[in-house]
Amino acid sequence: MADLVVLDRRFIARGVERSSALRFMFWLVPWVILVGLGIYAAALCLFYGLNQTNMDNRFAFGMWIYLDLGMIALGAGAFFTGFLVYILKQEDLKPILNSAVVVGLICYSGAVAVLMVDVGQPLRAWFTFWHPNTHSMLTEVTFCITCYLFVLILEYLPVLLRNRQLRKVPSFLVFEHQLHKLVPVLAGLGAFLSFFHQGSLGGLYGVLRGRPFAFRQGFAIWPSTFFLFIISAMAVGPSFLILVTATAEAVTGRKLVQSTVFRKLGRISGILLGVYVALKAIDTLVWLNVTSRAVGFAPWDFYAYKPFGSALLFIEILPLGLLPVFLLTLPMTSKRRGWVLCGAALACSGILLNRFVLTVQTLALPTLPFDEYLQYIPSWQEVATFLGVIAYGVILYSLSYRYLPMFGQSKGVDKNVPVG
Amino acid sequence: MFPWVDGFHWSPNHIIFLTLFAGVVLTIASTIARAVWRTSTDFQTHRATDMCWQLNFKELPEAERTCRHELAGRVSHRTCPNAFDCRHCAQYAEFAALPARGGALTGGVSFSNELLYHRGHTWVRPEEDGTCTVGLDQLADHMIGHPDSVQLPANGTGIETSGVAWRMTKNGHEISVRAPMDGTVVATGGNADGWYLRVRPTKPGDLRHLLRGAEVSGWLAAELDRLQVQFSSADAPVCMADGGTLMPELMDAMPAADWDAVLDATFLEG
Repeated sequence: MADLVVLDRRFIARGVERSSALRFMFWLVPWVILVGLGIYAAALCLFYGLNQTNMDNRFAFGMWIYLDLGMIALGAGAFFTGFLVYILKQEDLKPILNSAVVVGLICYSGAVAVLMVDVGQPLRAWFTFWHPNTHSMLTEVTFCITCYLFVLILEYLPVLLRNRQLRKVPSFLVFEHQLHKLVPVLAGLGAFLSFFHQGSLGGLYGVLRGRPFAFRQGFAIWPSTFFLFIISAMAVGPSFLILVTATAEAVTGRKLVQSTVFRKLGRISGILLGVYVALKAIDTLVWLNVTSRAVGFAPWDFYAYKPFGSALLFIEILPLGLLPVFLLTLPMTSKRRGWVLCGAALACSGILLNRFVLTVQTLALPTLPFDEYLQYIPSWQEVATFLGVIAYGVILYSLSYRYLPMFGQSKGVDKNVPVG
Repeated sequence: MFPWVDGFHWSPNHIIFLTLFAGVVLTIASTIARAVWRTSTDFQTHRATDMCWQLNFKELPEAERTCRHELAGRVSHRTCPNAFDCRHCAQYAEFAALPARGGALTGGVSFSNELLYHRGHTWVRPEEDGTCTVGLDQLADHMIGHPDSVQLPANGTGIETSGVAWRMTKNGHEISVRAPMDGTVVATGGNADGWYLRVRPTKPGDLRHLLRGAEVSGWLAAELDRLQVQFSSADAPVCMADGGTLMPELMDAMPAADWDAVLDATFLEG
């Protein structure tokens, strides 16, 4: 045990205070148990097949795809912050950049891991690239997400190599320095890839002609959901970063970034969310009055099945859409940390609700006269895999916070605050 | 998609996709290749040592990057912007002309006015034959005492300022001693005063970056203060010792201290 404590201390940057090794281990225990449970559930699914889940031929998208869509939207903070810092030269957001990369890596690697379980046969994952379905938007999503995951790993590498012990190896230190100089290229590439795969994830629903609830008109080959997904991801990414950082501050008892960074991220998030809500409202009106009517559906047809009443639509647009826009942008509220956190939480909830509605409600609603309204409750294996991915994220973030320069902390700056 | 995939056509859509995908893959691959190639070039052209030191220096706490002129009392506050290499300092002459206010050094360590000191706790003594002798200063010597093993460079090995001169281990800790000067090792050895290198300088007389006189007493006093803080218990307030002196074989005498942090600070690891 004493050796472990010494080893732990060796990897923590000099002059930076962290909680005791024992306390940190206690913090990790529940998350490790959840990861273990998730791995067990995933192994059951991979070994026995998808009969371990409550998905079927009709309800082919369930909790995992919802998790994927949600995580990829929330993880957009990585590409968007990189874009803001390196391309638009918003240098004041630099302190949160490493944290954004870690959050992005967690979200994307978690999403890919879940996809592996969902699609099955992970050893044949390369088939997607070698024998792609040329007619599926998911093919483009798969290509982009895989490439972007590589980009995120490359962006994470300089952060990892700055660990106190790793940087003592000269070749690692020089490589880290050289790779770090090339990160702007990766940031640009990340923005390019994210633009397309965020859009294609939305486009995937928008092109479902057989699902009038999701089908949308658009421009050229892109339905309106393509653009709505891009803007919503850009809007919610900074908000999620605010929430993650605030949670880390609460858990560790330390101030990790200046409040001006929160305010700036909040304002960016709020403005983009405002654009998204406006476009979403227009899109909804066009869809209800033109697109769905053209195929014989009245607006109330989609909202006649509980619990998916019209309230869900209004909740998404008003308290989880318009309200956070005001909270994050109005001078009176955007200067107060509490309101910014509240706005960020509402914004994230709104986008998660949007992804839930598009994934679950779309498949639950009947589309043909002989169809029935379906209900889907995930199996414990699906829930366990879901929780396992969340726990993996917490563990990776905790380890990164403890051993890597996540917030560019100046040594000794946070010495006089409680040890978290 | 790809030309070998069933359903591929040489149509604009497929060609655009193929071009974009190839562009993305090439960008990722070329980024990795460029970083690897630049790293390899840095080692081949001997820039790596200086680069590592510069990067390490940036990671040092501000209190450990104090300018020599502040240590000598010539200026009230100044942080070194040149990674302790005064040969590149534009203001060196201006500050060096100011009167120094060196205080008396207490705490059981002494220094010699005949020697020149590097911040990594090594000293340099120019010899009559044009070579220089390099050794560990008294503070580092008191701290380590008798090392468990010593890895001295072979004769003919080139050393660079603030690169690694030699390595030692003590109680499971690896210690890299930084070189105080550029040169070629012509002899090595150990005697009652500790381990030493005999070095032929790359540029004779180019030792302006090393501390001397009042700068050394100011620097060692600051180092003793740092040690006192590092050795004090995390719960106890910082307090001054009442006239005690630094004892020899400190690593053996205080095995429970956070030696990783102490050694990193002493030997300038970030």
